Order: sequence, then C-alpha cells, then structure tokens
Amino acid sequence: MNLTYLRLEILRVIRNRRVLIFSILLPSILEVVLGSEYKNGDVNGASATAYLMVSMGIFGALSTAMGISGSIAVERQVGWNRQLRLTPINPLKYIASKVLLSLFMVVPTLLVVYALGIGALGVRLSGAVWTQIFLGSWLSALPFAALGLVVGYLAKPDSIQQINGLVFFLLALLGGLWLPVESMPSLMRTIAKYTPTYWAVQVARNPLFHDKVNGTAILVLLAWAVGLGVIGLRRFQADTARA
Amino acid sequence: MPQRTPQLQPGPGTPAVHLTGLRKKFEKITAVDGLDLTIQTGEVVALLGPNGAGKSTTIDMMLGLSRPDEGTATVFDLAPHQAIAQGRVGALLQSGGLLPDLTVQELVTLTASLYLKSRPIPQVLDRANATEFAEQRVGRLSGGQQQRVRFAMALVADPDLIVLDEPTTGLDVEARRAFWTAMREETAQGRTVLFATHYLDEADAYADRIVLMREGRIVADGTPAYIKSMVSGRTIRATVTDTDLPVLASLPGVDSVETRAGAVLLHCSDSDGPLRALLAGTDAHDIEVVARGLEDAFIALTTGPVTVEASAT
Repeated sequence: MNLTYLRLEILRVIRNRRVLIFSILLPSILEVVLGSEYKNGDVNGASATAYLMVSMGIFGALSTAMGISGSIAVERQVGWNRQLRLTPINPLKYIASKVLLSLFMVVPTLLVVYALGIGALGVRLSGAVWTQIFLGSWLSALPFAALGLVVGYLAKPDSIQQINGLVFFLLALLGGLWLPVESMPSLMRTIAKYTPTYWAVQVARNPLFHDKVNGTAILVLLAWAVGLGVIGLRRFQADTARA
Repeated sequence: MPQRTPQLQPGPGTPAVHLTGLRKKFEKITAVDGLDLTIQTGEVVALLGPNGAGKSTTIDMMLGLSRPDEGTATVFDLAPHQAIAQGRVGALLQSGGLLPDLTVQELVTLTASLYLKSRPIPQVLDRANATEFAEQRVGRLSGGQQQRVRFAMALVADPDLIVLDEPTTGLDVEARRAFWTAMREETAQGRTVLFATHYLDEADAYADRIVLMREGRIVADGTPAYIKSMVSGRTIRATVTDTDLPVLASLPGVDSVETRAGAVLLHCSDSDGPLRALLAGTDAHDIEVVARGLEDAFIALTTGPVTVEASAT
C-alpha cells in the first residue's frame, strides 16, 4: 500500500470537506428528527432509538462512501487517470487505496451519528455492544465503497449527481434504512434481500439483539464488494479518455 | 510528394522508440496513416506538424494510451506499458492530468511515490522552475505555471525517455526559453527526448532531428538544416500537361513537387535550372516564381493538399 498516496488522498478529502459534511449532515438530521418520535419505544425488544441510530449509521456510511464517486468523476474530468497510466501504478493497489480511503471517510460519519445517539436520543449501550455495532457497520460499508468507485467510473461527470442520488435513494429505501422491510409490499421485500444495504444493516443491528453474526449477510456483502470491486478495476483500466 | 531523406546514422543498441506501420482511425478520419519511425537512444527529436497532423495520436499510441488499429509501437524494445511500468518513460501531455486541490509540492511528491526510484523533489521543482510556487494549490496556477508542474512530473522518475506533447503551450517567451534551457541540461545527460510542436523555430533550435508530419504521415525526416532547405528556397508554379511529376521531381534543384488546382508547384533550392528545363522541354505556361519565407513555406508544406489521394482520405 502506498502510504504517501493515501495520506494525500485524505488531505484532498479534508480540503473538499463540503462533500464530507453533506454526507454526515444527511443521516444526522434524519436521526435527530425521527429520534424524538422513537423515544421509549422498542423494536423486538431492543431500544427503538438505538435501532434508529444504527440504521442512520449505515445510511451515513452509504452516503459517505458514495461521496467518493464525485471525486472520481472530477479526476476523470481533469484527465488524472490518464496521467496515472503514464506511471507504473498497479491498478489493483490503486483501487484498493480508493476503497480504503472510503472506509476512512466512513469513520467520522459513524462517530457523529453515534455521538448524536448518545447526546440527543439518550442511547445507552455497553462497551462491547458499541464496539460490535461500530465494527459491524464500518466493515459493512465495504460494498458501498466499491459501489462509489463503480458509479464514479461509469457515470458521465455531468450526470453523476443524478445517478448517485438515484442509487443512493433506492438502496436506502429497499434496504430498510428508512422504513422496516417487513412493512413493504412483497415484491419490494424480495428485492430488498438482494441489496447490500439490507444485509449491512442486519449485521449492524445484530449486536442490539445479541444475535450472532449472520453468515448469509457476510457472504452477500462480500459478493457485492468483490463484484463491484472487479467492475471498478476494469473500468479504471479502460478509462483513458482524453481530458 | 516531398521526398524522404535517409535516416540519420543509427546509434548503437536498442532503439528508444520503434514504430512500424502505425495506423489509427477515428470514425471517418484517419489520424495516423501507416507511420514508421525509429528513434535512437540519446536523440532529441521534434515531431513537427500543424494541429491535426496526427502528432498527439502518435504519442498516445507510443505511450500505450491508445491502441493502434494496425502496426506496433515499442519503447526500449518493450511494449509501451512495460516500459512505463519500469519507470523508463516520463511524459508531459498537452492538457489535464493535474489534481487541482493539491499543492505543486504535494502533487509532485505523489507522482514520485508511484515510482520505484525518483529524483529529490526540490531538485526536480528547481529544474522545472516551479520552486517559487511550490506551496500553491495547482488549481490556482496560471496555464504556464501548470505546464511547469507537468514538466516536473515528467522528470521526477528520472526517465530514460521523455515525451513532451506541445510542452511550451501557454508559456510566454521568457518561460519558453527557460523551459528549453532546462530541457538542454536534461538531454546533456544522454536522455532521449521526443517533443511534438507546431513551431518550426522551436524544432529548429532544440532538436537534432525533425520529423515532419501531415495528415497522419511522415512527409520529411532529417536534420533541421535539411528540413529548412526543404521549406525555404523558391517555388515555381506552372501549368504543365505533357510531362509526369516524377520527371519534374528529378530535375536538379527541385526538392519536391506537388499539384494544386491544376497547377504544378516545384519547390526548389535552386530555381534557375528547373525553370530552364521547364521552358525548353515542356509546354509549361502561366509560370510564376515566388520566394518563400520560412514560416509560410512550412505552412504550405504541412497544410495544403498533397495529392488527390491524400485529400480524399
């Protein structure tokens, strides 16, 4: 892994902090607004506010990781990928650093959403459950990071906002981040089982119910991550368009 | 057709660049049309031609950025991407390729980190005359300053071959001179350089060899002195019906022959001999003799129609 590259990429994210702030703001607002309705409620024996908080964490992870597609679109626009092709860069390592960068960006989002959970919603959990929730949510963001890459490399720069918005909306809705999947019509319930968001939020919520890690969830998330990662890699290699 | 001179003396060992039968078509336009070119190690070669001559397309194929429809390109006997993977090629492309949100120093450092070996960053920034704005964000620089950043990025890996596509675009006269001074110091160390330009004076001043391109083909290849002799001199324009172009081209003093709008144009280093021959041996009429300025002649040589066949493609 090229640490210089990763360090400078993180620096770029910090300099373009508007994207990051927007990705954090979206789940935070929703969390606080909906949270007031959920106080003292429960979902299958778990605190409703904690349940909401975890869902919003995944929502935030999705919005943050998708944020990378915008920066990739800009890089394509200025001909950066073409410039990279003139260096001995290893495409696999490059894509891996992009995914890693996305995962780094997800950390502050999760921390803000959890801090709001404690401060505004009064969520109280044991240290072990906090740790499991954080790790589960963070690692579940892997397919989202890969998705951001694919959208970034597939979409035209002028239509990326719309495509991002659509993918983002569908995945959040179908994955049950806003509404319980159980309350959806049967077709949507079926489709939901194929989305990475559905399984990511299952993994993230598991600790609230003291459930074991779901093997199916991990397989589905890995399949998404690898599948999208391969597409992202292919697209990167094919992308030599002149600036 | 302008004639082709024999290649310069081939240098020893592996050629830096070897292009054979290179062809590239974009929809209806043939950008590069059967190009053969060998560049020896240590040569400083100018790829000279007007916009649309196929220079950038040739460079793209040489760098492995685009795939030729036909023919092959090798760099140090390797496929272009392999030569690049070994860090043996540094390239400056015409536009783009810069991350606007990093400083110059950061961007050059980042580029260096992608190579196994690289030169010290301050030295490279100095060489590219980019030290004074090293701390500024790339996106806030002028076009000329950005061009110097691209130059620094091309030098940072200490490459054996430097490829520059229109390197002085956007530079003012002083910056242009500074650029070439820096370039000279680089080539003094035995580096091979290929640069594309549409300025004859630039090619003349800085290259050992000029490859003149038009409409995707090489129309002349030789020392700057030879190219200048081709494009300077006088042009005889006449209407001739009873003789063949090769016959006219073989007259002593004639460098090249072309036809335009029914007339024959003889580009001559010496126009007196051919003129006598025309009057004595052919039905030539409506004869004009014109002296050509260097730039005018260059433009005529690289932009006018060559033959019916070439303008039809």
